[in-house]
Order: sequence, then C-alpha cells, then structure tokens
Amino acid sequence: MRRDAELYSLILLLGVLAVAPLFSTQYTVRLLTVGLLYGLAAVGFNLLYGYTGLLSFGHAMFWSAGAYGLSIGLVRLGLDPLQSIGLAFLLTLVVALATGYLSLRHTEIYFAMLTLAFAQLIYALIIKLRDVTGGDEGIYGIPRPMGLGEYYYLVLAIVASLVLLAWWIVRTPLGLGFQAVRDNSSRAASVGLDVSRVRLVSYVISALYLSVAGMLYAPLNRAITPDIAFWTFSAIIVIMTIIGGVRRVAGAFIGGLIFIFININAMRFTEFWQLILGLILAILVYLAPEGVSGIVEKVVRRVRG
Amino acid sequence: MDISLIVVQAFNALFYASILFLISSGLSLIYGIMRILNLSHGALYMVGAYVTYTVVILWLGLDWFSMILGYLASILVVGGLGILVERILLKPLYGKSHDLQLLLTFALILILDDVVKMIWGPEYRAFPKLPGFSIPVGDFQVPIYFIFTVLLGFSVAIVLHLFFTRTTVGKMIRAMTYSPEVASALGINTDRLFALSFGLGAALAGLAGGVAVPLYTASPGMGTEVIVLSFAVIVIGGMGSIKGALLGSLIVGFSRVFMVMLFPVMEIALIYIIMALILLVKPTGLFGMEMRERR
Repeated sequence: MRRDAELYSLILLLGVLAVAPLFSTQYTVRLLTVGLLYGLAAVGFNLLYGYTGLLSFGHAMFWSAGAYGLSIGLVRLGLDPLQSIGLAFLLTLVVALATGYLSLRHTEIYFAMLTLAFAQLIYALIIKLRDVTGGDEGIYGIPRPMGLGEYYYLVLAIVASLVLLAWWIVRTPLGLGFQAVRDNSSRAASVGLDVSRVRLVSYVISALYLSVAGMLYAPLNRAITPDIAFWTFSAIIVIMTIIGGVRRVAGAFIGGLIFIFININAMRFTEFWQLILGLILAILVYLAPEGVSGIVEKVVRRVRG
Repeated sequence: MDISLIVVQAFNALFYASILFLISSGLSLIYGIMRILNLSHGALYMVGAYVTYTVVILWLGLDWFSMILGYLASILVVGGLGILVERILLKPLYGKSHDLQLLLTFALILILDDVVKMIWGPEYRAFPKLPGFSIPVGDFQVPIYFIFTVLLGFSVAIVLHLFFTRTTVGKMIRAMTYSPEVASALGINTDRLFALSFGLGAALAGLAGGVAVPLYTASPGMGTEVIVLSFAVIVIGGMGSIKGALLGSLIVGFSRVFMVMLFPVMEIALIYIIMALILLVKPTGLFGMEMRERR
C-alpha cells in the first residue's frame, strides 16, 4: 500500500462511520461510539508502542485519568464542563509526566512492568479513596450534554481530527524521531536526537489521546467504575492495537473498531461471548500475525499485481 | 497491640505468601527460560482451584486424603494443559514477534474463564470448611491448614532448589535461562525442555489453585487479580529466580496482611509502590539477573 493509500482508507472509513448511524438502532449507535473511542485509544497507544517501540502495560491509567478527572469535576466538585475538562487534562498531565519521567528510565520489559506498577497503584487508590472516586461503585449520574445521536457526531468529529492528527504526527520530524528511536536508539542519539526527550514526548502525547477517549467515554456511559483502571483494560488496549496492526495509524484504529465489532456479535450470539472472542483472537494470532491491516495490505498488493 | 493477634496475622501472611510463591515461581520460571509473559498463568491457577474443588467436594468428600488427591489431579490436569498449550499453540510462535505471545496468552484467559463457567457455572464454589482443626492462639484460632500450606510452600521451594542445582535436567534448564542458543550448541534438547518448563510452571499454578481453593473459593475470573500480584512478586524478587519468588512472596504477603491491620488505605497500593521502587533502584530485582529480550 502506498503512503497516501493509508490516508484515503482512513477518510473512507471515517466517511462510512459518518453515515452508519442512519442505518443503526440506538443500541448500535451506542456501541459504535464505544468503538470510536477504543479506536482512538488504540491510535494513541500505538504512537508509543508501534511508533516509538515502548510497550506500556498501564495505559488504562490515562483513560481513567480522563474519565475520573472529568467525572470528579462534574459530579463531585460541581464544576462546569470546561473547568472539568481542564481538571481532567491537568490530572492526566501530572500522571503522565510523573510516571513517564520515572518509567522511561528503562525500556523493554522493565518499562512495561513499571507502567503496570504505576497503573495498579492508581487502581488501588481509586478503590480506596471512596470519598473522591466512589470506590468499587464508581461515579454515577455523569451528565451528557446532548442526545445519543448528536453525541455520536461530537465523538466522531473529535476522534476523526485526532486520528488524522496522528497520521500527520508520524510524518513530521517529531514522528520520524519516534521511529528512529524505536529502530535504533543509539544511532538516533548519535545523529543528535535527545532520545529520552523524544520518548517522553511520545509518552505524553499518547497519554493525552487515552485521556480524551476516557473523557468522552464517561458522559456516554453516564457512569464509570474502576474496571477502566484495572490491568485487564490496559491489556485490552494492547490487544486491540495488535489485532489491528501496529505498523500504521489506520491499523490501530481498525483494531479498536474490530474489537468492539467482535464483542457485540459474540454477545448477541451467546452468553459465552468471552469464549468466542478468545477463540477469534487466538485464530488471528496465526492467520493475521501482522494484524488485520497487514492482511488488507497483502490483498491490495496482490490485486494490484 | 495484642501479641496473639500479631501471631495470627503472621500466619495469615505466611499462608498468603505460600500461595503467591507457588503461583509466581511458575510464572518466573516460564519467563526466565522462555521470555514469555504468560498472562494466562492466573487462569491456570483458576483451573487448578476448580479441579481440586471437584475432586474433594463433588467426588470424594472433605478429608486430607482427598485433598492430596485433589492436588495431584490439579497438578496433572493443569500441567498437562500447559504442555498442550506449549506444544500446539506457543511453539509455532517462537522467533516471531512477542506481540503474538501476549495476544495468545490473553486469548487463553478469555477462553479458560468461559470454559470454567460452562463446566461449573458462574456461581462461586466454596468449601464448607477448611480441612483439619484449628489451634487456639490467645483469643484467636490458627487453622492447621495454614500451617500445612506454609510447610508445603517451603517444601516446594526446597524441591525446586534441589531440582535446579542438583539434577542434570535442572541444570540444563538453568543453562537455557542464560541462553537457549548456547545451551542448544552444547547438545541440550531445548525444544523438549521448553515443553517441560512450561508444563512445570503450569503445574505449579495448578497446585497453587488447589491449595488456595479451600480458603479463597473458586470463581471464574479469580485469576485476574492474582496474576498481577504475581507480577509484583517476581519483579520484586527478580524475574527468573526461584529464591526471588520466595522472598517476593513473603514481602507482598506480609505487607498486604499488615497494611490491612495498620493502614488499610495502603493495603494494595504499598505492594505496587515497592514494585515500582525496586524497578527504579534495582530493576533486576533482589535476586534476579538482567533480562534482555531475545529476538
């Protein structure tokens, strides 16, 4: 696939998502919105993983920082929406800078384990600080400013801009710097890149993507529970990115959508939907080792000859 | 504070640490030798819990003899499952991207959770009581089962230590921890030892489930919390080290049990603070060696 083809397929996909609600029930629109947010999360995660080569096992903490920051502002502190968004961003930046500064002393497995430790620490605090976070029960009664149908388009507009922004970022000198650090950090350093700064920038941008997804998720659901901070959610972020394909922005985005798509259909089909989801993921390991986008690329290449 | 309460809590902590050790020694072994982060290790622990429950409660009735049979059944079923998973599912992935191992072991959690639900139903499966009697300590009771578990945990630690230091197979496996290529060049059949190691690691998780189930009850998804605590254990002790898993389990066990008593807000948080501090100060853990990814 040529470079531009990725942009065209992204635009096509977003176009399809723009008309999809016209043919969907309320229930499906809700799930599509979740799909968009998972796609956004995967794109953000992939800036750090696919493009910078750092596997975080704690990205649920940024989704949670966004979701809890906004909800605490709106419900607990009675702030207006703009102030609450500000609070959520502030919280995300504090968490991202602190954990990033510390975790990025290492790479590979030690980095993954540090991010896991910090994310679980935050999960433990969410569970225990009941007065602020609601503990196990979470936060209820988060207001949504508009109906579901309109909210879908708000989410779509934000997600589309951020996904296209990510497509652009990886083509700027900054994004090329991510990839240089990923491919060979000592060579990147020798040509004058500040490797730790490049990694931290990637980490923080990635965290902000997750945070925005979390902020949009809280009003959609009207309630949040600590599941979104648990390690399994961090794992799901990793998994959906991998099934989409880590080599491209579009791949990760498709991964989020596919993950929700499989989920919905498996749930409709049987109460044992986890089994179906697990089997499909296991099959993808062998059939699509480079993700679904890898298969699409192969097919396109073959058709073109 | 009442001294008998401290004694009882110390037994609680030792019991908890023993279970953690059984799980995390297997996890550490698998990571050390194969560099596989086995996310499904907690799910294997869950299967072990259900197998012992079935043998003891559903089939034979609660006594020590059936407990031992239950453990053996858990070891065989889960160890066998581990070998099947390694031979059929993991082997084709060696030398490929680590992503695929993560994806596969995560898929296994989803699959095993639902298979357990299909066979045993979604409800919790609890033991009516612990096997054996209790010893009074001041105003409190220490179940003999706690003492049994602690002795079992330490015995397994000693057996594993002897296995890795005294037997040829154990030494071969340790050689592979440093480098499978070199081990292979020295004439060690690494392929078969991979299967054996994964099976042994899985069997330890199965035994852990069997030992834990009388107190913790069996439920689908019971592995997801314990797996992340096991990661904390092996990071603290040092990935790939059995001694490290033992020390890590004691640290996590004691800090959790005593935090519940002293400062409950930090019950779980402290574990992850210790984990992060160790990673920052001594990333190889207290007893570990450096783990580089193999490509």
